[in-house]
Amino acid sequence: MRDVYVVGIGITSFTRLDYPLAEIAAYPALQAMQDAGLDKVDHVYVANMGGGRVSNQTALGSAVVDHLCLWPVGAETIENGPASGASAIKTGAMAIASGMMDTVLVTGAERMNEVNSLEATDFVATLAHPMAERIYGVTLPALAGMFTRLYMERYGVTSRHLAMVAIKNHANACLNQFAHVQNKISMDGILDGKDASHNNPVIADPLRFFDICPVSDGGAAVILASAEVAKKLGKPLVKLAGFGQATDTHAVHEREDPTALTAVRLAADKAFKMAKLKPADVDVAELHDAFTILEIAESEEVGFFEKGKGHLALERGETALNGKLPINTSGGLKARGHAVGATGIAQAHEIVLQLRGDAKKRQVKDAKVGFTCNFGGFGNNVVCLAMVRE
Amino acid sequence: MNKQILGYKCKKCGHVQYPYHSRCKKCGHTEWRGFDIVFDTAPLPQDGKLLTFTHLYALPPDFEAVTVSFGIVELSDGHRITGQLKIEAPKIGMKVQGKVELVRQEGYTKHWGLVFYSAA
Ligand SMILES: [Zn+2]
Repeated sequence: MRDVYVVGIGITSFTRLDYPLAEIAAYPALQAMQDAGLDKVDHVYVANMGGGRVSNQTALGSAVVDHLCLWPVGAETIENGPASGASAIKTGAMAIASGMMDTVLVTGAERMNEVNSLEATDFVATLAHPMAERIYGVTLPALAGMFTRLYMERYGVTSRHLAMVAIKNHANACLNQFAHVQNKISMDGILDGKDASHNNPVIADPLRFFDICPVSDGGAAVILASAEVAKKLGKPLVKLAGFGQATDTHAVHEREDPTALTAVRLAADKAFKMAKLKPADVDVAELHDAFTILEIAESEEVGFFEKGKGHLALERGETALNGKLPINTSGGLKARGHAVGATGIAQAHEIVLQLRGDAKKRQVKDAKVGFTCNFGGFGNNVVCLAMVRE
Repeated sequence: MNKQILGYKCKKCGHVQYPYHSRCKKCGHTEWRGFDIVFDTAPLPQDGKLLTFTHLYALPPDFEAVTVSFGIVELSDGHRITGQLKIEAPKIGMKVQGKVELVRQEGYTKHWGLVFYSAA
């Protein structure tokens, strides 16, 4: 198996974008190609979830190749719900590792602004189990609310811990010009003050408005290459040293322990083993905080902290920008935003910036090892990536 | 007659699973009858205890209610199921009794499922 390097990156603003879906995917792709110093690639993978239903754009892979004038290269759309982005990176990495391709463009995009937020949530809920969950009106926030209540009961996590995740990630996003939400929030404003219940209403009890990520438009791209190509291009060498994926039951209630995110644990294990690394080696991580509770739970399942102790590390400031292991320096899904198909690629984008030393005001000092967790479904399809600066 | 939710019983090992999978998750068996896959069906019990719940205030656009409550219930035979709750102040661990009711109407499509009430 050959080594895989990330040689180019690109990203759009994660706000509201009035461009067609294929252009939202093409824009960061062109940036990434320019960054890498390549004007063609061997293959294209495009990550997206809602093109067919929300944007009336199917076969997005072909549409993106057309925008980029990259004919006749092969291209596919990769749809794996909210984990589409990292799934596409993993697929591209396999193409390089196998020796079939020397350069692969992986770009992801989502455009949700045709629909309002309830319609967007209803669309995302189509990934839930059709008979056992969706028919009841269960949405992702509802699944997350039930998960949170159990987590609180079992491990002593409180609304205050959840708010700490939101406050931290909003503060990080203020240092990221591409973030969807760039406003500082405070404990007083969202939990303690007299306007808190107005500012931060309950959405899926015990989850409140500021525990849930926004619905964003946006795109992100990376170029993957073989070692031979990467060394010729002369960019800082960031190796995609490990990747892992795992699945779990479709219906959340069917899992033996409903507070376990088994697929996160297994995907992370695989990524670390492949990279010959341990969780303790990681300097900076992007975890899929679609709901604040998920940052805490994933930080345990991937192996950074003991099960049930993630909220204590958060309390001690270990996951803050100046902590021992900064998590979601980009602002995370919570504040950088969640442009579904692009999210896993935006996570990788942030890690590459950090490992290159290009993250400016939010740079983690001497970051050499980075990790991402892209969480699909409600934890039923998870892809983790481990990256190393050489 | 009271409507029921069915579990799917493996023709080989007798394991009952819910929801439906196309093969037995315990022994991996698929029972073919011509081009059809067949399971025996057995109604699930409707009483159990509440494992967790939420009150959702941002409902899919086809709902008229302001809030709907959902829960995961461990049924008396050990199976778990997700359903709606009609319980004023639910508590983790409380005993509940389910009833199959109309739970969602999407256009002309009616969905039936379990709604749980307090059994105390
Ligand atoms: Zn069986």
